[in-house]
Amino acid sequence: MPIGTIKRQDMKFSSSLIVFYFVLALSPLMSQEVLIEAEAFDNPGGWTVDPQFEQQMGSPYLLAHGIGKPVKNAKTKVNFESQGEYHIWVRTKNWVPGDWEAPGRFQLQINGKVLGKTLGLRSGWGWEYVDKITIRDAQIDLELVDLTGFDGRCDAIYFSMKNEEPPSSPKKLHAWRKKVKAEPNAPTETKAYDLVVVGGGIAGCAASIAAAEEGLKVALIHDRPVLGGNASEEIRVHTLGIYGNFERILKKLDTEHYPNGSTDAKLDQKKRDDNVKSYQNIDLFLNHRAYEAKAKDNSISYVDARHTATGHRIRFTAPRFVDSTGDGWIGFWAGAEFNYGRESSETYGETWEEHGELWTPSEPDEAVMGSSVLWGSTETDSIQKFPDVPWAMPIAKKYARVAGEWQWEFSSPDHHQIDDAEDIRDHMLRAIYGSFANAKKDPAHAHRKLEWVSSLVGKRESRRLVGDHIFTFNDAKTGRKFPDGVVIEVRDVDIHYQTVLEDEANPDFISEALFYKTPQYYIPYRSLYSKNITNLFMAGRNFSCSHAGLGGPRVMRTTGQMGAAVGFAAALCKKYDVNPREIYSGYLEEYLALIERQKFEKIPESKK
Amino acid sequence: MKIPFFFVLVALLFGWNQIPKESMDAPPEYFVLEWQEGTRLFPEPTDFTIEIDSFGGQEVVALVNEKKTPQLYSADIATPVCADGECRLMHIKFYWTLLGEYAGFDSYPMLPLTKHDHDLFEEGDYQKLHRLLRDDKSPLARRTIAQLVEKPKMRTVNGVDAISGATIAQVKEAVVSGALYSCYTAWHLVHGDIQEQLKTHTQETLTHEMTQHMLHSINVDYQLFALDQMELKDYHAHYQQIAHIFKTGTPLVRSVIAKRLTSKFKDTPQLQRPFWEAFEQVDSSSRSLMMNYLNQAPDYVAQVLSQKLGVMSKNQLKDFLHTLASKRVIPAEIHTNLLEFARSEHQTYAYVAQEFLDELP
Repeated sequence: MPIGTIKRQDMKFSSSLIVFYFVLALSPLMSQEVLIEAEAFDNPGGWTVDPQFEQQMGSPYLLAHGIGKPVKNAKTKVNFESQGEYHIWVRTKNWVPGDWEAPGRFQLQINGKVLGKTLGLRSGWGWEYVDKITIRDAQIDLELVDLTGFDGRCDAIYFSMKNEEPPSSPKKLHAWRKKVKAEPNAPTETKAYDLVVVGGGIAGCAASIAAAEEGLKVALIHDRPVLGGNASEEIRVHTLGIYGNFERILKKLDTEHYPNGSTDAKLDQKKRDDNVKSYQNIDLFLNHRAYEAKAKDNSISYVDARHTATGHRIRFTAPRFVDSTGDGWIGFWAGAEFNYGRESSETYGETWEEHGELWTPSEPDEAVMGSSVLWGSTETDSIQKFPDVPWAMPIAKKYARVAGEWQWEFSSPDHHQIDDAEDIRDHMLRAIYGSFANAKKDPAHAHRKLEWVSSLVGKRESRRLVGDHIFTFNDAKTGRKFPDGVVIEVRDVDIHYQTVLEDEANPDFISEALFYKTPQYYIPYRSLYSKNITNLFMAGRNFSCSHAGLGGPRVMRTTGQMGAAVGFAAALCKKYDVNPREIYSGYLEEYLALIERQKFEKIPESKK
Repeated sequence: MKIPFFFVLVALLFGWNQIPKESMDAPPEYFVLEWQEGTRLFPEPTDFTIEIDSFGGQEVVALVNEKKTPQLYSADIATPVCADGECRLMHIKFYWTLLGEYAGFDSYPMLPLTKHDHDLFEEGDYQKLHRLLRDDKSPLARRTIAQLVEKPKMRTVNGVDAISGATIAQVKEAVVSGALYSCYTAWHLVHGDIQEQLKTHTQETLTHEMTQHMLHSINVDYQLFALDQMELKDYHAHYQQIAHIFKTGTPLVRSVIAKRLTSKFKDTPQLQRPFWEAFEQVDSSSRSLMMNYLNQAPDYVAQVLSQKLGVMSKNQLKDFLHTLASKRVIPAEIHTNLLEFARSEHQTYAYVAQEFLDELP
């Protein structure tokens, strides 16, 4: 054979080799993966978006909160660039692992066909393998099928041609998510304001209104679809406390004195939402949850927030910020000093001999007041069955009730009110379902059915950011007067403890209250801005106080007063281009005059 | 309202307000403390009185043992109870602990308690009164009688916490039906100023014997008080009794002991052993409190706890593993126990242990 001549057979083989290596080289590009965040489903059906625990488990998720009845399917369409075989994983968890059938079971349905694998079975948040399927279409219909109505939860669904389970550890999962979604490090959209208020409870709403009335452009960021926090129709705690200097504003936001958990909360919800929305210079970002606050040289530069369903991110910049998140997140991320737990009674001399250790402890500890989940049932015309809930009984035991008010509260040394908030909420759900199941054994309740069970934790206490003054029980007890006493209250100092402390046989989800009668007392402005983050206000239960100091002012008209107070302070900060502390040190007289004047403020032009 | 002189006369005729001379060798009919067989208490005068409207001060006596150490305080009370324009006398003998807490009561067979409609109290009513008086956090505490009989107003927006209907229902449940005024009067006498006076007096006259008596009592307030009064050497000397209280007491008392465990027994590590070995006997919250001090605990504790992984909550297990991770070497026995736990199919949190083992170098 002449040199340079290649046999036909050898050419064919070489060509095949070349094609093979080419395909091999390209295969990573052809391999497909699709991550669907459950909260971004086109139609959540009867599932609800639950963003409460994003900082702990990584993401908002869909929750099948059917209180015993399976909810309607969540539906969405998924696009595939490549057809072929895909492995499917779902990120979920069994929220009550134990020797019983998992309560929150669900399945996937693709193009109308239910996949056989039951999901919601693994202990701890992580990936459950579903199946390997062949995708032939460019788009499929994907649905979540709830099987129980008992709080099954789905965070994400992952399709991949590679049989590689995504990471479970929180850090790795976070990095992987960003990579898969090709998410840029920073939000692509930035918005600038005079004041950014994070947290749309009564305090945040009041701060926004006060600032807006003084002409500030305000962003109000809130992670729920409705305003009010614990006072919203989603949690339904009525507002208590007095109006102090801010009756005009607080009447736009507060509630009637209905029983906690009442559907009357819906009426006040509308009033609140309409009033806040009526301000042209409040930009309201509902369903947005902050996830980062960056500080440089002890001054916050921006807060980043994400839509809880779409994931769209926005960077909010402002010269000043208000942390009314309740958990003190903005302060925490920015590096603000904070406290958590009970100081010893000696720290500030906050003893009440009569109740000793239940009031304040001899040694400091991490106990705080607990979270509540309110609920109720209703009589009907027909027999109402309620499923067996064996997974609830270790908590409920023999306790039997048909409704739950403020005493349904959970705090324990084993649970951090922030880090373990999901477990706390789930503990209360077990208490509720189990107690109701016990009540249903009584023939007198044969016609009764669960009407409403909140899926949100109503917190009382967690982080308390530190200001220039830490408000204590003694400040309330003595009615101490401050030159900057902008918040006024008369309500007793009211601290809760779990009844299980007195008797192990008591349910661990019921609390009792201790009330200390006080004269009129005052909270100084110096408790409403951060000691070490120069441009941060705080208003709400995360204000600067001791544990016992929080007992009285934690109710929502009082926290609302704090919000209004910081809103007006922010206005003066803008006028003089100063930070919060300087209002006390340099402009106190004008500030107090402004608070006095605003009692009778005319409706501003900016109001729609 | 003036009490009819007749009532005052009756009280005097019955020898009210005079210190009894007889010893007491049986507990009060309704009593919260334990009474040891063979106990005899003798009345001794004190400077304390309870002011009763129109009757003046009624004497409080100390009930002392043979060593003249006070064990209880008591007072024979005749007090008017007035409702709807009508007054009658209530006769009752109250007892207080050394800390001024309610200890019990006796009624008088000749002068039984009556309700507003003059019906006599039945046994169930006396029991209910006893339960009410035991409740130092009763809703009666912070309300006037007028607030308890008025219908509550819901839906007022005055900014002041109104009394809810639920609270009135709570009060109804707690008091004897038809005897609200008697119950209210009795509760406020028992939990009135005398409480603080007696406690202060005990603090000022406290002896070692009294502290020990309290430490060995089933009464929670006594236990807490004793734990606060004891010095370090007393903790060491009486660690077994403290361990007994830890195992059998309320979570509240356990919480105090758990927080002091590693500090009070820092220099006597072996004395901590009965507490750590009781880990699975105590409630979960108490275990969590103990775990908060694990990094200050003696070395042997890790081995003790490695045998109790099955009772740990997820967070307790994580705390335990976190403490282990800070040690350079995990002892073989602990490693074996961890492995066994991680491989168990019946342990809910086996996966937590498995993740820990997987990440070991």
